[in-house]
Amino acid sequence: MMKPTRVTACFLFFTLMIIGGWAWGGLEGSKHDFSNKDWSGGDLCSACHSAESDKPAAAPLWEENADLNRTFGMPLTQSKAAGPGTNVCLRCHDGTIARDTISGAEGGRFVNRENPGLFGTGHGTGDHPVGVDYPQFDRDYRPVTSVTAAGTVQLPDGKVECNSCHDPHNMSGEEYMLVTSNARSALCLTCHKK
Amino acid sequence: MTMRRTAGWATPALLVLTNLTAVTFADESVVNSKHDLSARGPGPIRAVQEGRVCIFCHTPHNAAPQTPLWNRANPRTYYRIYESSTTDARIDQPYGPSKMCLSCHDGSMALGNVLSRPVTHPIVMTARTIPPGMADLTNDLSDDHPIGFRYDRALSNIDRQIRPPEVVTRDLPLGVHSEVHCTTCHDPHNDELGDFLRISDQMSAICVACHDMKGWMHSGHATSGKRTTGRTVDPQERLKYATVSDNGCLTCHKIHSAPHRERLLRFEREEDNCLNCHSGAIAGFNIASDIYKRSGHDGRFRTGVHDPAEIPFTMRRHVECVDCHNPHAARHNPIGTVRSTFGQTVKGPNLNASGVTITGRETDDAKFLYEICFKCHGDSVSRPRIRTSRQVTQTNTRLEFQVSNPSFHPVAGPRRNSTSVSLIPPLRIGSIITCTDCHNSDNARSARGSGANGPHGSIFEPLLVRNYETDDFTTESAQAYALCYGCHSQDSIINNESFSLHSRHIVDARTPCSVCHDSHGIYRGQGNSVNHSNLINFDLSVVMPADTPSGRRVEYVDTGTLSGNCTMTCHGLTHINFPYANTARGGTPSRVRSFSLGVNR
Repeated sequence: MMKPTRVTACFLFFTLMIIGGWAWGGLEGSKHDFSNKDWSGGDLCSACHSAESDKPAAAPLWEENADLNRTFGMPLTQSKAAGPGTNVCLRCHDGTIARDTISGAEGGRFVNRENPGLFGTGHGTGDHPVGVDYPQFDRDYRPVTSVTAAGTVQLPDGKVECNSCHDPHNMSGEEYMLVTSNARSALCLTCHKK
Repeated sequence: MTMRRTAGWATPALLVLTNLTAVTFADESVVNSKHDLSARGPGPIRAVQEGRVCIFCHTPHNAAPQTPLWNRANPRTYYRIYESSTTDARIDQPYGPSKMCLSCHDGSMALGNVLSRPVTHPIVMTARTIPPGMADLTNDLSDDHPIGFRYDRALSNIDRQIRPPEVVTRDLPLGVHSEVHCTTCHDPHNDELGDFLRISDQMSAICVACHDMKGWMHSGHATSGKRTTGRTVDPQERLKYATVSDNGCLTCHKIHSAPHRERLLRFEREEDNCLNCHSGAIAGFNIASDIYKRSGHDGRFRTGVHDPAEIPFTMRRHVECVDCHNPHAARHNPIGTVRSTFGQTVKGPNLNASGVTITGRETDDAKFLYEICFKCHGDSVSRPRIRTSRQVTQTNTRLEFQVSNPSFHPVAGPRRNSTSVSLIPPLRIGSIITCTDCHNSDNARSARGSGANGPHGSIFEPLLVRNYETDDFTTESAQAYALCYGCHSQDSIINNESFSLHSRHIVDARTPCSVCHDSHGIYRGQGNSVNHSNLINFDLSVVMPADTPSGRRVEYVDTGTLSGNCTMTCHGLTHINFPYANTARGGTPSRVRSFSLGVNR
């Protein structure tokens, strides 16, 4: 048996930390883990992803209910320009589409009004804008390069989307499925120069 | 052993890692400012566990309808709002962003009560609400700078002492309808300048961005380098900067929780705001010791009566420093030890003070010193009562000094008489004097004293610069009539160069000047140039009527240059048409009888 040295002790420590870090997050056991629901098909992915591809599933009802803009208030008026990082989320989180329509099972389970995960209905100003261009020339905001430098916050096509702040796969394990810790409001201050 | 060594290495490594992930921001961030209420915030008021900073005011989801993503309920408090007789703005109940600030700063709502959490489970804080103190504005906003009023062109057109909103720097943002809010002056996210100010308040830069007080930029208060440190300017608050000019407006004004609500002054009693420095503590002269003298313009006389918007004619009787001085425009006295006859126009300390002109019209910017005096001593119903009972009674000094009067001291304009033999040069016929030549502090520099110029207070009543006896049977001396002899040569008077019987009356009969002369003047509406030339207006407590065939009379008749006759009883002697003339000086020749003859009939 190798006698532990300082080097190996440190190596072991960091290895454990990294493994532990992975173990903290993850989809399994998170609120997005619908595998135990009867409508989800019993696995982690098919609630959101079709079996054929890893791209977001084209929900049958999606096109017919495309007037999502109707229910979105001011900041979401640009959501026509919103990318998949927003629209996929709002399929469930705007509360208009039953989330189990994806699997073709019976509908009726809405993200409802009592659920804090309901956004964009009625009072549109109550939510952080998504699908908007990042105000890169506003002195109240940090430069794009500084925002994306750490690799945690993404600005797909230069826009702020749901997945700029949230990771639906919960890889970080942070509360609210944030991409990184918001201790000391660090996530907010990644963009906001306040 | 091995385990201990491992632990010894692991702990610093963990610390380094933690430090790398921690986000550090510069001073201009809300993080680590007083508004950082998170558990690691710097102030005594902070959360017990909550680690986020923004969450106390903002939330990304399900926020209040109010931008920007507001996370607090609006207070439903009714606020007492600022009121002032001199404001032209319509001040409403606070609204918009101001209400957001007040949701903590009115001291009524719980700090941890945020919309993103149930009311029953607020964020646990070290203090439930803002504790009483500087940050607690209370629901009484009448002692705070007004908010919630429109600052637009209409306002700046009425109020000439604020700048048009277009020229106000964009660093001070107004509301969507051009209203002033808390956020106009304060940036809640940036405490770099202290007090979360958007512009520095050094030399009142942030105040003068909007306020354009007439004369301020060159005033003594804006330029004075006198040090305020180590001296108690306001016992309740240490001033921020070291000198009067750096503190600027804040030397006298308090923007929040001002003890004197109206006009936001540091002290409730008007004079305290001035005398706190002008009592020898910071300013050069001790005015406090002057006004407390026997005869003084004592600001302690009344409190709460003075109002800058008052109407001089109807105001209640009072005196405050600001009745004569405009602290926004006052400058150092350029005259110094020079006699104030040097000029009659308003000088440094009285610049831009209000007054009443010789024609009785109000003015915001008195041009002559007497105009300031006329505010209270002219037409005002509160003017001082009479002291001496005379033939002609007039207490309105504005009327007494009219240049069309039969006789008057030349304050509002020169006299037109051809003789005035006793004047001491440089005074001569045609000279103009000021009120303060006679009414001044007894230790004024212009009277060779060491104190401040101006009628602040004197040991000689009524606020005279030198002694002036008015009691009958006063022994004549340079001291007894020092006031008169300052301009009228004692030698000339005693040697009878003007009135041929001066010596007989003043020295022999010990009659004071004031028995025959009414020093201000005789109003043309009451007297005429025959009976009231040469400031003759007899003191009826000494001068009695004489029985004449035409009835009991007290009368002086001017019969020409330096000649005339008198009818009255004085000191037991009766004169009836008793004539005098000074032939040596060109007076009209007439019969001259010796005074010693006694009763003349």
